[in-house]
Amino acid sequence: MSENFSRRDFLKLAGLGAATTAVLTGCGPASRFVRREPYMQMPEYTYNGLSTYYATTCRECAAGCGLVVRTMQGRAIKTEGNTNHPLNLGKTCARGQATLQGLYNPDRVTDPIQKARGTALGRESGNLLDWDAAIQVAADALGKHKPEEIAFLLGLAPDHLDDLVRELAEATGINPPLRFGALSMFEARATLSRAAENLFGKSGIPYFDIGGAQVVFSFGANFLETWLSPVSYTRGFAQMREALSKRRGTFVQFEPRLSSTGAKADEWIPIRPGTEALVALTIGRLAFELIGGALPRAFSDVDPMQAAAKSGVKLETLQRLAALFAGSPHSLAIPGGPALGLKNGLSVAEAVLALNAIPNNFGKPGGVFFSAPAPGQMESSRAASTREMRDFITKLADGDIKVLFIHGVNPVFELPAEMGFKDALQNVEQVISFATFPDETALEADFILPDHHGLESWGYQQVGTGTAQSVLSGAQPVVSPFYNTRATVDVLLAAAKLAGGAFAQALPYVDEVAFVQHRIAPLMRESGGPFSAPEIGAFSAYFQQHGGWWKKGTDLLPPNPADVLNRDLDQTESEFVGEGEFFLVPFVSPTLAEAGANKPWLQELPDPTTTVMWNTWVEMNPATAHDLHIENEDVVVITSEAGEVEAPVYLYPAIRPDTIAIPFGQGHSSYGRYAAGRGANPADLFGLHFNQAGDLAFAGMKVTVRKTDRKQALSRMESLMGVYGEGLGQEK
Amino acid sequence: MNSKIPEIKLSEEQTGKWGMVIDQDICTGCQACVAACAMENNLSFVGEVDAGYGRSMHWIRIERFWEGEYPEVKMTPGQPMMCQQCGSAPCEPVCPAFATVHSQAEQLNLQVYNRCVGTRYCANNCPYQVRSFNWRDYVRPEPLPNQLNPDVTVRRMGVMEKCTFCIQRIHKAEDKAKSEGRELTDGEFTTACAQACPANAITFGRIDQPESLVSQLIRKHGHGVKHLEELGTLPSVTYFKGG
Amino acid sequence: MFKRLFDWLRQPLGLIAVGIVLLTVFSLAAYGIFLTQQSSAQPIQFPHRTHVGFGIQCLYCHPGAARGPSAGIPSQAKCWGCHQQIAKTQTSALLAPLKQAVESGTPIQWVPVAMVPDFVQFNHRAHVAAGQNCEDCHGDMTLVTIAENPQVFNMGWCLDCHRKAAGEDEAKLLKLADCGTCHY
Repeated sequence: MSENFSRRDFLKLAGLGAATTAVLTGCGPASRFVRREPYMQMPEYTYNGLSTYYATTCRECAAGCGLVVRTMQGRAIKTEGNTNHPLNLGKTCARGQATLQGLYNPDRVTDPIQKARGTALGRESGNLLDWDAAIQVAADALGKHKPEEIAFLLGLAPDHLDDLVRELAEATGINPPLRFGALSMFEARATLSRAAENLFGKSGIPYFDIGGAQVVFSFGANFLETWLSPVSYTRGFAQMREALSKRRGTFVQFEPRLSSTGAKADEWIPIRPGTEALVALTIGRLAFELIGGALPRAFSDVDPMQAAAKSGVKLETLQRLAALFAGSPHSLAIPGGPALGLKNGLSVAEAVLALNAIPNNFGKPGGVFFSAPAPGQMESSRAASTREMRDFITKLADGDIKVLFIHGVNPVFELPAEMGFKDALQNVEQVISFATFPDETALEADFILPDHHGLESWGYQQVGTGTAQSVLSGAQPVVSPFYNTRATVDVLLAAAKLAGGAFAQALPYVDEVAFVQHRIAPLMRESGGPFSAPEIGAFSAYFQQHGGWWKKGTDLLPPNPADVLNRDLDQTESEFVGEGEFFLVPFVSPTLAEAGANKPWLQELPDPTTTVMWNTWVEMNPATAHDLHIENEDVVVITSEAGEVEAPVYLYPAIRPDTIAIPFGQGHSSYGRYAAGRGANPADLFGLHFNQAGDLAFAGMKVTVRKTDRKQALSRMESLMGVYGEGLGQEK
Repeated sequence: MNSKIPEIKLSEEQTGKWGMVIDQDICTGCQACVAACAMENNLSFVGEVDAGYGRSMHWIRIERFWEGEYPEVKMTPGQPMMCQQCGSAPCEPVCPAFATVHSQAEQLNLQVYNRCVGTRYCANNCPYQVRSFNWRDYVRPEPLPNQLNPDVTVRRMGVMEKCTFCIQRIHKAEDKAKSEGRELTDGEFTTACAQACPANAITFGRIDQPESLVSQLIRKHGHGVKHLEELGTLPSVTYFKGG
Repeated sequence: MFKRLFDWLRQPLGLIAVGIVLLTVFSLAAYGIFLTQQSSAQPIQFPHRTHVGFGIQCLYCHPGAARGPSAGIPSQAKCWGCHQQIAKTQTSALLAPLKQAVESGTPIQWVPVAMVPDFVQFNHRAHVAAGQNCEDCHGDMTLVTIAENPQVFNMGWCLDCHRKAAGEDEAKLLKLADCGTCHY
């Protein structure tokens, strides 16, 4: 031992001490303390440590893609696409992948609860019920009111619930269910359907065979993002592009703000908002002039020079595009997205659909069809237009409805605040929600009787569009229910039985499975299915095992093209509401869509074009921003005639200088910890204006932009790659 | 007893075993691959602030760049960027703990979590910037851990991680083939990203077998690009720019 | 003040005191480590010896070993399949927890004995298929009541065996000694 206790010795000793501490605290492997629980009764097709796969249907949107879910020891581990399913052929979108984060989300509604309206979910604000009491509540709601005082508001999925409620309504005289979803609002389904009716004499959602097309002109259709059936349309796009055997297809997108669909286009035409119909008709006229022959009535009135001036697209460009469109027998024009959310959205849809008469692609490969009707699909179960929703809200506000059941839709968040859904609920005696999540609408309910998550549910979805085949997509539970939830169909069956009278007789089914079997039974007699069975038990088992039932061969219906061009088409520009200097283009977030904000991994997916994560941004042209002395991440206030929204600016190079854009999907006040209090909801800006078909004119506004003195950092992927990315600055 | 591990052979001709081809012309940037990867490989989400600092744990990201100015502005085709599984990887020689090693059996760059001490040298030396570091023990509130894939290690704070070409799927498929007494066939399994991709822009398979789908695609397209090949990294991912 | 303390510590008595303190700290540390490595008691004193003595094959209760990564703990229904027909089950104190668990429908909380860390991906099937017997790793179950590990499952032990299995076959060694075979 040395004479002096040197600093070095001290450090040695200190080091030894630190090492001891580290050993003591850091050594115990946590897995030493795990317990292993065996199955009580192991399912016979299960082996320890091996996965079991179940086919079911994705419920993240209404498209109805087939999933195969990998489960292990009773837990869902991974969603994969069902390779046999005609709609998605084994593929999924990001939301389909993240559906597990909804299933195992920490903020689900765990038990049936009676609660005060407008309060957050919690033991203090609510009164947990057992299911017997909860079903009694539903039974009283049905039995103690007049049928016309009872209404159901349903989402776009699942379809079997809609069928059940429709059956109930027919038998008892309650209001037929109304179906709605933010996606149907932004897709302007009613507009598409009405345009088809006007042009072809038959309503229905058109199907666009992008895969077979060689020239695709899209007017605002965001078919690679959330539009109608994005997975199948993306496959179509890939086929159009990939086609190694033939010429690579050309894709032109007309829209004021480059969407992530438009980013894949060979050419982006930033046309002035409101001139979509005019540009489509001009291209039609110019194309016809190239082909020669008598100019049809539809295109005869347009003046290309004027159109060029109004739309901001050069005449030469229009001529070149017309030549391109006329030059191929497989040209296709698609209307969609914000272009239909203009005040003249129906005119846009008609004008663009009429373009397809130039190659006359109706009912031909690479052309326009009517979607294949799914087995059992009824015209009445289509999504309501936003104007129909307004009429319904008026009914609520007038106190005509005493009991409102809500399932699978969140109108308090999705509808424009201006429509007053939340206030109208005050005049409804009893609101019963079947929400899986404590979303804004569920919190306004008196009772939440939580449904299972989609992956815990039986059912089916009628595939409305996106495939040539007629598809009924089957759903089955891939795991047993994680919480004390109950299938809404089962709750309604039990409640109807308790309510007695007409209700008890209306629904003679033992349970949800029996109901689904009853509905799929007619398919047993159909030929051309993927399987056959002599009796319903086996048939139903095959149905679940295959993930649904579909007919071989195409069931697409050709539209009647006779009168398409033999009519006057409206070429006037759209009117805009509001005094502001900017056109507003609201678009559905490609990663979150309308209900993805509660899933943390969807929040952390970078937006395809801006790469922003976890927040809302306002897209503005850099030149405009420069003029207004606005920099990246400056918070601005957007004011429309209906309201205000605050969000940081993202300098977006691909947007018209007179236009700003804002994504829809964030801005929740509840809906779980990952969604609540994050970003802004552009629905607050929407005024009560509709296009001719009754869909909301969400893109028909002019707004003002005011800079605040605040900045808000946006988390984004770009230029921050790698572990030593540039810092964001201050924590928020 | 033979305990000598053969030395790594470097040559320009050397091809890896597993590879990918990515058709950028049809990649729509939809992020399905990113989500699929996160779900398959137990990736942590880091939250808004950490993501803003560039600490998000994406093993695959879709790069896009802007060309030109309005109105002649264009977004470059989506470029899914993940570990390129270099034949001669810059990350490997710099690891002082031998946590970033080359698998001789599978010809992949491995990240051995239990060896990793978190120097982050590998990430600094990676020209593709595809490695992500666990700056914290990121929280997954209950019951989110129920979805964890038991075939993949859940990483802790202080560990580097990156794309593995879904090595757990490789092993599982190999194990299955072996148990059935046959060779692994091309296309029998694929990575999570390729499996999800709605446009089928990603194809995974054996690049050392001329009849495999990836090899056929490389021959067919004929103008594939390997990123930063000039650095001599011998990447295993081929990109088709298309257009 | 510190100088006086150091002076005192430098004299023999002081050194002894320091020694005692250090010894105590290290013994406590060692004991602490020991404690962290101790597994808690099994809910049932399961006599492997007896069951193997009846001639029951390992794979009867742990069939996963031949098929997949994990051997698995038998379901309670499997235990009960035999035990409900054994009179002793109703009376034996040792079997009371099983009876209670089956009747109340609560799973028994077994304490895992043979386990590898989370960062090791172990597959039983490959080892069984390669001709390994259960007792090569898990020891002779005819000798124990509660399963015990005859050796610590550390990497050196794994690799020893892998190297032996590879023998002179270089390609096989590449595979069996590859980090990525177990760690991913």
